[in-house]
Amino acid sequence: MIEVVEAGHWTTVQDRGRPSLERFGIPPGGAADWYAAAVANRIVGNPQGAALLECTASGPTLRFDADAVVALTGGHSTGAANWQPIGIARGASLTIGTIAPGLRSYIAVRGGIDVPLVLGSRSFCQRGTFGGGFGRPLQRGDRLAVGRLGEYEPLAAPWPESHRLPARGPWEVHVIPGPQLDAFAEDALQRLTTTACRVTPAIDRMGLRLATPGLRLQPQEIVTVPMTAGAIQVTPSGGLIVLHVDHQSTGGYPVIATVISADLPLLAQARPGDTVRFRSVDQAEAVRAWRRLTGWLELDP
Amino acid sequence: MWQVAPAGDRALLVTVGRTIDPSLLGQVLALDKALAGRPPSGLISTVPAYASLLCHYDPGVTDAARLEASILELEGHVDAAMAVGSVVDVPTQYDGPDLASVALQTNLTPAGVIEMHAGREYLVYCVGFAPGFTYCGVLPDQLSVPRLASPRLRVATGSIGIAGRQTGIYAVESPGGWNLIGRTGLRLFDPAADPPVRFKPGDRLRFIPAS
Repeated sequence: MIEVVEAGHWTTVQDRGRPSLERFGIPPGGAADWYAAAVANRIVGNPQGAALLECTASGPTLRFDADAVVALTGGHSTGAANWQPIGIARGASLTIGTIAPGLRSYIAVRGGIDVPLVLGSRSFCQRGTFGGGFGRPLQRGDRLAVGRLGEYEPLAAPWPESHRLPARGPWEVHVIPGPQLDAFAEDALQRLTTTACRVTPAIDRMGLRLATPGLRLQPQEIVTVPMTAGAIQVTPSGGLIVLHVDHQSTGGYPVIATVISADLPLLAQARPGDTVRFRSVDQAEAVRAWRRLTGWLELDP
Repeated sequence: MWQVAPAGDRALLVTVGRTIDPSLLGQVLALDKALAGRPPSGLISTVPAYASLLCHYDPGVTDAARLEASILELEGHVDAAMAVGSVVDVPTQYDGPDLASVALQTNLTPAGVIEMHAGREYLVYCVGFAPGFTYCGVLPDQLSVPRLASPRLRVATGSIGIAGRQTGIYAVESPGGWNLIGRTGLRLFDPAADPPVRFKPGDRLRFIPAS
């Protein structure tokens, strides 16, 4: 078992989420930085579906009552070694501390965090207050079971720096135009991609509000449509909301462009005050970016 | 004309129209059923809403152009007539915090608002936004009121709201900007049930005032 000695700011159990339940209004969820989470599982030898801990801004202190192998990836933990296997002896503790640069760190434990499956996933769903073992973020005193999902030997060496994503902004984020591009003036996309957007403090797993000084896109109204992670919604006042993994399944603000899957991890690490620039790409480039990351995961570093 | 547009690098959005109209929902549900019956290669899941259908696909198996072609082949070949199921009664306590202000805005008495809201059958157009949230329509013109100027941070489970020509039921506690006129004890979302939601698009319901 793992005992939560300190919970950190917002620590939740996440896996790859519930991708096919949006027709019931259920967000797909799962790790916000899917790449960092996948690497953490890879380092400790877990299969990719294993559940781990997602920490936001500051992480927990955990006490282990059995020997364990863990890995920390994503946003940089100031309290422990990052991007490499860490052996923990029975009775010892792990302290994550403040996270910076980056916003979210992942703690994988060899064997996986074993909490009950709800609707096919161990992920905590904030909007529905279910999953994640407790139907809430972790609190001091919670106890987590470790599963038996170790599939490969843990890696012996740190994850190569060349196969990590940028740790800090300014963020260049690639988008595919649409799907509601026709609700906007002809030059809107060009204006969006030449504006330096600023991340506001209003960010969570549902989405990020971006401030866009001088950009007034003034879209037409639309009938409610299904939404995806990465959708860049434009509100009537001209502000941007970029939806993330716990996004609402439908929405009424038109979407000018959609962030590609390979760049969703960047937005999971963006902090208030960071600059985001959007760049338009085609499908082929988006698929190449995705294959680059999944290719890294298959390497044997 | 159906329009197909990319929604990122692993989904396509099929838009069949731009209004709230039962015949457009009929097309969406018919397309959804046709795709479920004979899924094109690489299609993972779909999400229906009002006049559009989102199609998630695996870009490792197919691509946007191929999936778009398989979808457009179905245009004009799906049966858009909606199955007529039974009408579900939603027991309702009309004691919402915005009932009085809705009455003022519509020149009705609170009892008149209740009579008008409860006096008709609604079509479920969409389950979305939050788990189990049920969007229904359409309200009579006279009951059409704008959303609240600033949304509530917490709307209780079971709350029944109105906004524009729509009425909806909050299945879980969430933020919300609709005018709350009542609430129901009917459970609309249960993660342990299969399916986890009470309603689906195309269902019909009516609100029954509790005596």
